[in-house]
Amino acid sequence: MAAPSTARAPAKRLRHDGARTPDHFHLPPPTFDLDVWAGNYEGALLPLRLAHVAIHCPALARPAIALAVAHAKKSKDVRLYTRLCELAGQLGFPDVGAPDAAWAARQEEGNKRELGRLEGELRGYKNNLIRESIRMGQEDLATHHLVTGGPPPDPGAAAAANPHALAGAGYAVAYQAFGKMRDYCTTPTHMASMILRLVYTALLQAVAAQQLGSSARQSLDLVLSNCARLRTCGVKEEEQARLIPIAAAMSGLAHLGQGSYRDAAAAFLAIPIAYNLLGPVHTADFGRAVASANDLAIYGGLCALATLSRQDLVDCVLGGPFRAFLELEPHMRKAISLYTTAKYQACLDTLRHYYSDWSLDVFLGVPASSLSSASHVDVLFAHIREKSITAYFSSFSSVSLASLASTFPPTSTSPTAMEEEVLAMIDAGQLHARLDVVNGTLVAPRRELRAGTHEDARRAAEEVERTLLLRLHKVNMVLAGLEVPRSKVGWEGQGNGLVF
Amino acid sequence: MGDLQILLSFPPDDVAKLTRKKYDDAINKYIQRLEKLPSTTWLKLVDKKNLLEMLNPEVNSIPYMASLNSQMKAAGKDRSKIELLLNYAVIFLATFDPVQVRYVGDTWLNVLDWTLDMIPESGSSDLSPISSAMLRLDPTAGTFTSTHLRFLRKCLEGGVPSHALPILDKNIYAMPTTPPKFLSDEYLCDDLELSNTFITPKSGFTRKIQPEYVLEYYLLGAHIYLGMRNHARARLFLEYAYLHPTIQHSVSALQVEAYNKWVMVGLLTEGKPYPIPRTHDTGVMKSIRDVARPYDALAESFVKRDLSKYRAEVEVGLQIWHEDGNLRLVKEAESALLRFRVMDLQKTYAALPIGRVAVHVGYPPDTTLQWVTEMIRQRHLQASITPHGSGDAGDAVLRFHQSTPGSSAQFDDDLEAQTQRIEALVAHARDADRRLQLTKEYVEYTKRQKRSGPDAVDMADQMDLSWENNGVGGGLMTGSAGGMVGLDEDDGDEDIMGGF
Repeated sequence: MAAPSTARAPAKRLRHDGARTPDHFHLPPPTFDLDVWAGNYEGALLPLRLAHVAIHCPALARPAIALAVAHAKKSKDVRLYTRLCELAGQLGFPDVGAPDAAWAARQEEGNKRELGRLEGELRGYKNNLIRESIRMGQEDLATHHLVTGGPPPDPGAAAAANPHALAGAGYAVAYQAFGKMRDYCTTPTHMASMILRLVYTALLQAVAAQQLGSSARQSLDLVLSNCARLRTCGVKEEEQARLIPIAAAMSGLAHLGQGSYRDAAAAFLAIPIAYNLLGPVHTADFGRAVASANDLAIYGGLCALATLSRQDLVDCVLGGPFRAFLELEPHMRKAISLYTTAKYQACLDTLRHYYSDWSLDVFLGVPASSLSSASHVDVLFAHIREKSITAYFSSFSSVSLASLASTFPPTSTSPTAMEEEVLAMIDAGQLHARLDVVNGTLVAPRRELRAGTHEDARRAAEEVERTLLLRLHKVNMVLAGLEVPRSKVGWEGQGNGLVF
Repeated sequence: MGDLQILLSFPPDDVAKLTRKKYDDAINKYIQRLEKLPSTTWLKLVDKKNLLEMLNPEVNSIPYMASLNSQMKAAGKDRSKIELLLNYAVIFLATFDPVQVRYVGDTWLNVLDWTLDMIPESGSSDLSPISSAMLRLDPTAGTFTSTHLRFLRKCLEGGVPSHALPILDKNIYAMPTTPPKFLSDEYLCDDLELSNTFITPKSGFTRKIQPEYVLEYYLLGAHIYLGMRNHARARLFLEYAYLHPTIQHSVSALQVEAYNKWVMVGLLTEGKPYPIPRTHDTGVMKSIRDVARPYDALAESFVKRDLSKYRAEVEVGLQIWHEDGNLRLVKEAESALLRFRVMDLQKTYAALPIGRVAVHVGYPPDTTLQWVTEMIRQRHLQASITPHGSGDAGDAVLRFHQSTPGSSAQFDDDLEAQTQRIEALVAHARDADRRLQLTKEYVEYTKRQKRSGPDAVDMADQMDLSWENNGVGGGLMTGSAGGMVGLDEDDGDEDIMGGF
């Protein structure tokens, strides 16, 4: 259950509490148009996306939060609605955030009635023992939980004082409810349909948790395991072909969320392009509800840039099936080809141009770990930069810091920024070089192969001799019966004096 | 005068032409005859001269030694007599015939012990006659005797630890063990390669050996090597001690002491604890480390190069280090920690001003400069310092050099020497193997293998045909790999070595 973990630090990320660098909350306006962008998505994730934009980009805050509130009001999730209204208030738009209490009460009442009806129906089905009916009843109930954000929290519980605490819990209830369908699934297709819903619910849970500032790791693990089930659920081949793209894309998202970028890159690169025009599968359109093919192009491109070698980028990314995705986002493709042709600076500039766009994405823009405030975009950018510096330096035996700084403009304004960055990279073992502070140059270590081999041989010989001696000693002692004896008394009795 | 004739009857004039067997017969008969002589023979004056004046210790080693022994007993506490006898004894120990004395080991040991006791009492601290006598008897000093330990103790008591080095520097290859009866087709006078064939519990060359003697020998030896800054050897000795085989995981306090010191030596030389040799017994190791926790804690902060934490650990455990007698080691490691902090810098920097080193280690620049200069002088650091024009210590430049190993010829010599040492070792290892094969346990083990044989043999025949072809004794003892390195003749034996 997500409830205990979300209970602490309510809405930390929703408020300007300085937990993250101001940068993240004052992003420049992105290159896309908000309305067009929002038109790409639907479902419960959309208000969360908009809220993310509103929090992080002051220029778009007002339209974004207004849109989010409007969407929430169209849905049945009353708690999401009130939460967004509060957020609007915090962001300084009390007019947008004035909650429509009458609507909320009415909707809440309606939700309750609906819930009661569905539960009653389910009980009826269970009495009749018709598996298919039970399955459908269970599914309806779970779907209801999902769209309403779960049953209302128990009044009087500690959570009541803290309305945000249970925001993620509703999805957990939905997840469990979907999970109960399992016993009544009779065909692989049913299983597939159930697992798809589980994946979606777990992802929602993860995003909600991340927005509230708690760990999404658990939910992401659920996504991963369900994706694995999706690949092996045993449906017919043509059906499976429609599931595979979703499984690959969602597991990539989960890896990304957990910060394992290498795995994420591998998962993204394996998505068949069929994902793009997949349409709804079992009534769930992941392309619109979770991540569009364009989004996946960005995620995959960034992860690949940050983790793969230049050769791999050429072979697997530009030359592989993923290229079809990259065609959707030409600037991403351009950045990768710039990198592979060693035009690091241009590549980094291109990426930086879209920094704002990507930071406003609900999957990329969240903090990569609970320890630091850096978002996935920041971490990925840092990786790409480090890789670029390492690759750049690999062709020189010595480079002056000044020229390095002109190729890779330091990220901060401090005069020693470049030096510090290089030192950090050397310490982390990413850059094999030594720094000459006096001349301000970075020097590649000269590896003397012959001397190195000699040294290794000497060490090995010493080791062999020592090992041999130690073992000989052991054998000798055992042979002569000189082991340290067992009984303590006997030992002490003769141990302290050696008299001949 | 008949007595004197008897005394001089061995060696006969044609001793060089005698076969081994005849020599053996002759000397045994001779000894029997000597035993029949009245004990006064040894004390009588001959021609108004001491018998010792008449005999040549080099040729008539046995009667000389017997006389010496009797006169020593007779001398009691008489100072002048002792002085006189001591001179004779020293002459004897420097010139005796090592083959003759093999037949009368106990007398030899008496003479040696007496001399060992008397040299310090006579006010001399020169213990070299003892070590040269030991080496004269057994040039390898490779069979452990009680004299090894006694000598070592005397060296330490006398404040001349360096005098123990001729013995300490020799590796112990064997323990005195009773050879199996049916193997005695060798004569004591044979040109024996291995000293453990004539130094046995019955030979009289050693008193009964207890496990703690061996532990103490190695521990004291390690002390001496630590004092000499021969850390490699100290490490070996300490490993001998704490890897000493035990019965049912019992642990000796001496082993704990050895482990403690071993951890410190590792810190001093490598900057981190040595890897624990693979032959350790996990149960024993666990008990040792339970007791040695303060040292492991020291090592932990050392490895992290955390000076303040290390100092705090030192402060907290002051009592422990003091009681264990390791206070100086701990203090020495503290300065080594500073040294390693500077040495770590060369991984990152090629050159840097002293001022930055000072910041890194937390000392004022003047002190740091002095202290880095000292490190370079002691060859801990391959670097040079260029003073700055301003004369300010902080501006002087420390430039690390690429490590330049010694010349190639030098290296070849080293390696050659090492190879020879290992080859010599292998000979001893073979001998240990041979002895192992003759033990009751091994015979029983083989028998058991054979008894459970039929099935196993069938399996082996089917599966391991190539085994036989390789000349590996029929898969008799296919067990753990990792026997002794360099032993490729007899794989079965290797396994015992590894298995113990």
